[in-house]
Amino acid sequence: MTVVSSGPKYPGGGFLAAQPATLWFLGGLGLFTLGVTVLAEGFGLGTLSTSMVKILGMTLCLCLIAVAMDVVWGYCGILSLGHFAFFGIGGYAVGMWLMYARTEGIVTEALLAAPIPPTETEITNAIATQIFGVVGSSELPVLWGFAHSLPLQLLMVVLVPGLLALVFGWLAFRSRVTGVYLSILTQAMTLALSLYLFQNDSGLRGNNGLSGLQNIPGLDHLPQSTLSLWFFWASALALGLGYLFFAWLVSGKFGSVIRAIRDNEARVRFLGYEVEHYKLVVFTLTAIVAGIAGALYYPQAGIVNPAEIAPIASIYLAVWVAIGGRGRLYGAVIGAAAVSLASSWFTGGGAPAIDLGFYRINWTDWWLVLLGFGFVAVTLFLPRGIGGLFDLLVRKS
Amino acid sequence: MSAILEVSGVSVTFDGFRAINNLSISIPKTGLRAIIGPNGAGKTTFMDIVTGKTRPDDGRVIWGEKSVSLLGLSESAIAQAGIGRKFQKPTVFEAQSVGDNLAMALRAPRGPFEVLRARRSRAADDRIHDLAEEIGLADALPRPAGELSHGQKQWLEIGMLLAQDPALLLVDEPAAGMTPAERAHTTDLLKRAAKTRAVVVIEHDMEFVRRLDCRVTVLHEGAVLAEGSLDHVTRNQRVIDVYLGR
Amino acid sequence: MRPDPLRACLHALAILLVLLLPDSGHAQTPLQPLLQEHRAAITNPSRGTATAMVAALLASGHPEAAEFLRRWQDRGVVERRADGMFLYSDDAGGLREIDGGMAVPGLTGRDVAPIRPNAGVRAVVAAALVPLELTAPDPERRRAALDAIARSPEAGQIAPLTVSLDGEADADLRDRKARLLTLLTAQFGPDRASRLTAIESLAGDTAIEARAVLNQIAARVPGVAAALPEGANIARVLEVDEDLTEIEAHDRLVAARLAPPRPTAKDLRDALSAHVEGGSVGGIPLHRLNTDDMRLRAYEALEAAGRVPPRSGPPEVSQAVAAHVFFETYPEPDADITAAAEAALSATTRQIALYQGADLILDGLSLASIFFLAAIGLAITFGVMGVINMAHGEFIMMGAYTGYVVQLFVPDYTVSLVIALPLAFAVTFGAGVAMERLVIRQLYTRPLETLLATFGISIALQQLAKNIFGTQARPLTAPDWLGGALTFNDIVGISTIRVAIFVLALIFLALLLYILKRTRLGLEVRAVTQNPGMAASMGINPDRINMLTFGLGSGIAGIAGVAIGLYAQVTSEMGANYIVQSFMTVVVGGVGNVWGTLAGASMIGFLQKGIEWFNPSNTLAAQTYMILFIILFIQFRPKGIVALKGRAAGD
Repeated sequence: MTVVSSGPKYPGGGFLAAQPATLWFLGGLGLFTLGVTVLAEGFGLGTLSTSMVKILGMTLCLCLIAVAMDVVWGYCGILSLGHFAFFGIGGYAVGMWLMYARTEGIVTEALLAAPIPPTETEITNAIATQIFGVVGSSELPVLWGFAHSLPLQLLMVVLVPGLLALVFGWLAFRSRVTGVYLSILTQAMTLALSLYLFQNDSGLRGNNGLSGLQNIPGLDHLPQSTLSLWFFWASALALGLGYLFFAWLVSGKFGSVIRAIRDNEARVRFLGYEVEHYKLVVFTLTAIVAGIAGALYYPQAGIVNPAEIAPIASIYLAVWVAIGGRGRLYGAVIGAAAVSLASSWFTGGGAPAIDLGFYRINWTDWWLVLLGFGFVAVTLFLPRGIGGLFDLLVRKS
Repeated sequence: MSAILEVSGVSVTFDGFRAINNLSISIPKTGLRAIIGPNGAGKTTFMDIVTGKTRPDDGRVIWGEKSVSLLGLSESAIAQAGIGRKFQKPTVFEAQSVGDNLAMALRAPRGPFEVLRARRSRAADDRIHDLAEEIGLADALPRPAGELSHGQKQWLEIGMLLAQDPALLLVDEPAAGMTPAERAHTTDLLKRAAKTRAVVVIEHDMEFVRRLDCRVTVLHEGAVLAEGSLDHVTRNQRVIDVYLGR
Repeated sequence: MRPDPLRACLHALAILLVLLLPDSGHAQTPLQPLLQEHRAAITNPSRGTATAMVAALLASGHPEAAEFLRRWQDRGVVERRADGMFLYSDDAGGLREIDGGMAVPGLTGRDVAPIRPNAGVRAVVAAALVPLELTAPDPERRRAALDAIARSPEAGQIAPLTVSLDGEADADLRDRKARLLTLLTAQFGPDRASRLTAIESLAGDTAIEARAVLNQIAARVPGVAAALPEGANIARVLEVDEDLTEIEAHDRLVAARLAPPRPTAKDLRDALSAHVEGGSVGGIPLHRLNTDDMRLRAYEALEAAGRVPPRSGPPEVSQAVAAHVFFETYPEPDADITAAAEAALSATTRQIALYQGADLILDGLSLASIFFLAAIGLAITFGVMGVINMAHGEFIMMGAYTGYVVQLFVPDYTVSLVIALPLAFAVTFGAGVAMERLVIRQLYTRPLETLLATFGISIALQQLAKNIFGTQARPLTAPDWLGGALTFNDIVGISTIRVAIFVLALIFLALLLYILKRTRLGLEVRAVTQNPGMAASMGINPDRINMLTFGLGSGIAGIAGVAIGLYAQVTSEMGANYIVQSFMTVVVGGVGNVWGTLAGASMIGFLQKGIEWFNPSNTLAAQTYMILFIILFIQFRPKGIVALKGRAAGD
């Protein structure tokens, strides 16, 4: 690993001034947000459809988790195959409130039509029947104890991924599991979580997942075109703040230490740093950001289910970061945006099929083959990813 | 003079092979000490035990004025207690600049949150500059450490050790792969460092040890074979036998 | 089943007659007149008339009577329309006299009326014939009769069975008869002593029929009454709060109509809704009725006004429950018999637990060998070489599809299997070598990137398989000799294919140990793994060795694919299902050691089966807990079960 960071260190107040890449990125993000707002259906010219705005907003969330992944992998050297699980948990946490509150509205309305007003138990039971009928249950699981409260569920968005990462990370790092072993262990954690969620009695509707998340309780009067733009702005803001936070985190002495851990953790130990504590901080912080990104993503996607958490999603995340270029935050953004947008273009039927005469290459079938082999090519010939190309340009000019 | 490090009766076995066999060594508070011995004598394992990388099966390792046992402490805790170690193969962080390497080693709070809150200070900058001057890398501060020559990396690592300001310095074959001029510089560095702290050097090269001009401990099969001045130990018949393989 | 005394008597009578008049067959009096006496019952039988008719025919002792009944039951008897005579009709439509068997030519289908006894009537006949069939000369007919007894055991069958036992020549059938006799005696034995002996002899017998008999004897019926009934065989008295909750007890009272039901929240609500007057119920305004408390008060107000029936509230429930005894009784009146049956059952339960343990071990063994097969290739590439190959699962898949393609061309399953195994090895060996040369070789110093690059190959291969073979599962059919199962008794059994997989795993283990420990290749592999530079300087070509080793690991994955495909389905995703478990197996077992992989596979296999045993309905949960356990296990043994120690372990 020989990614050399440029620019002076030791963050002072004016660290932004010393971070041209971060400034460029934030400026670009601002312009992009403005552009989308102007072109969007909900606000401006209507060139961009609501579904397109949603895709772009979701892409921003994916960029945010990619940045977090870059910090934990590209900077700290932990190839976590579990961060998409934290993303999914964030989605579940916010989804529980969305689903509960919306069902509560519907159920209360129905019960109020009766001559006698409903008791609280009756309302809860009706909500539970409505939500868990699909898995043959009519009781609200303990897990949903906070689902009635938006602030508490938002707290869960941060708390659950954070605590899970803290406990898992503490166990893994304490026993000095590193490298590919750690990757496999994180993958096992993800697999365990997704298998758990697939069960009907998991308390989270089994493989049905949580759905109807695009409808925001209390905002029923607003059209999706407006809501989609609100979420787009929130995603852009989260990405901007997340990027800024991580840029600050990795720029100072802390960044220096975690990159040293990535390159030779035994040596860092002999310098007197508790390597495990640093890893734990990075692992947990990035898990929390992943959770936040998921909490913004799934209301735009409308549905979250256990398949989203399957280990393969986390590997894709690593693929984005690797393609974009590790060890540079904007690389992660480029990778996530490029691959996820290309993916939805190819698999959404946007790409024209190629007729070879004897065979017709249908991109919905062949995109994964292209991505797979393309990814191998990037790993072999472009180890620094697309971001590495910038270095070549900068050096030439 | 009281000892800063007291190793007594330490043994360690790897898969039936006794790497260290009832070893006892005492290191005084200041001054140089050279440890020599043939391959497999247990020199590096001795360092591994002191720095916490290897747990011994038996024995005690007592550190400092408060007589703390080092057994059971983590590597980083031992480093924070004041023991610095330089590896045989120079290990500096090649992706980062010389300045960053030194800054990381600089004596300062080591916890992640303290490091996050840390601000760049005038005093630290000055100290880094002084150290760079001392190891002859003042001009190379902004350069990535990976670009340095082999000898310069060795010095950078010694500089990082000095930046830690340890009470005991463990140095594993510092002169390996150096030019004669570089060796002379290294000797000076170590001698100067030994004025205020204990320095233990593991070395193969007799010429280098002679130039260090210090007390020598000869290890063989995981135990002390002889101890004294270089001339004294080289006259010892058992040492001669061991070195000549008789 | 309750014995029917009338039928039992008839059976006994029939048997006696048959036995007492062994020579009656020589009389050769025609049967037809006797049949005509019962013509109504024969042409248009009901269960009742048929029973009497069958008894009468058998009681006549006519040698042809049983044969007639058998044919009649099989719808092989017709009635001649012209004179109402009964004739035998065979499958081809030929007609014969009943007495003498003379063919009756010249009749068409119109001249005769078919007789079709219904299923109930046929059962009556079959049951009546059983005693006769037990001594039939054809062993198959005797066996069929025994099966009929096993299906519907009755008290009356004891006597004929006892009698037929002595004359039984076939050892197998004699055992079977003795066993059925024991089962019948346990249930319907004539006296207490014989029943007790039979029941005691069934203790520890795990066969399903034996357990069914014991369970039937020891069956319990829940009961509730004001006081314990006199003379009943009480199994136990249930204590409220200990054996059942007050609510459960009350539910039983309600079910027995000894107490009015508790009104549910909905009943309450409906009752209140029906009495809304001027915006309030029972004097409480409607908008305040949104708590259970207020609703109860409203109901009580209505109750006080006599407008609703009194509610069975908590005090009433307690009172009702306290006034009754809850118990379980045995329908079997004899307490000694039920006690013996309970004792025999508990002995059986212990035996079953033992067998289930054995079965669990077999299951675990078979799962372990599947994990071992899936992971053994990885033990070489990941364990020995340290290369992490995420496409390993796809090599398994390629092997399975190779087997599928071979079966398309070679229809004989045995031959195709013989071709498929080496071919799968060749195909995946080639794929492995190609991957090693083109990709992995460039990345030996970057293990994490190997993980990602091989993942890229994995998704590409998976999608390619989908494009070529489609998304639905493809069959890989096992030859017939692998289709059966090895059954030890009613509980312990294992399918032959799993035994085959176990054997295959053993072969691989031996082969691999041989290659690694005893051959030149193994020596060179170990040399290259431990110190590539030194190995190269000794004239070993590390590139070639790495290539061969990787090919070997991949080839074994291919063979494993054929084996796994035989018992599971072949899909493009089958490899992905095994990859995480396989890595776990290698990591848990201890990297760099074939024995370690065996230990890891055994641990994970047995563990998963063990967890499934606690919660058999939920294999997903079992997998979840197993993975959590593995994560914790790695905390305590980070280097696996079989860990290399000291410097060799490296850092």
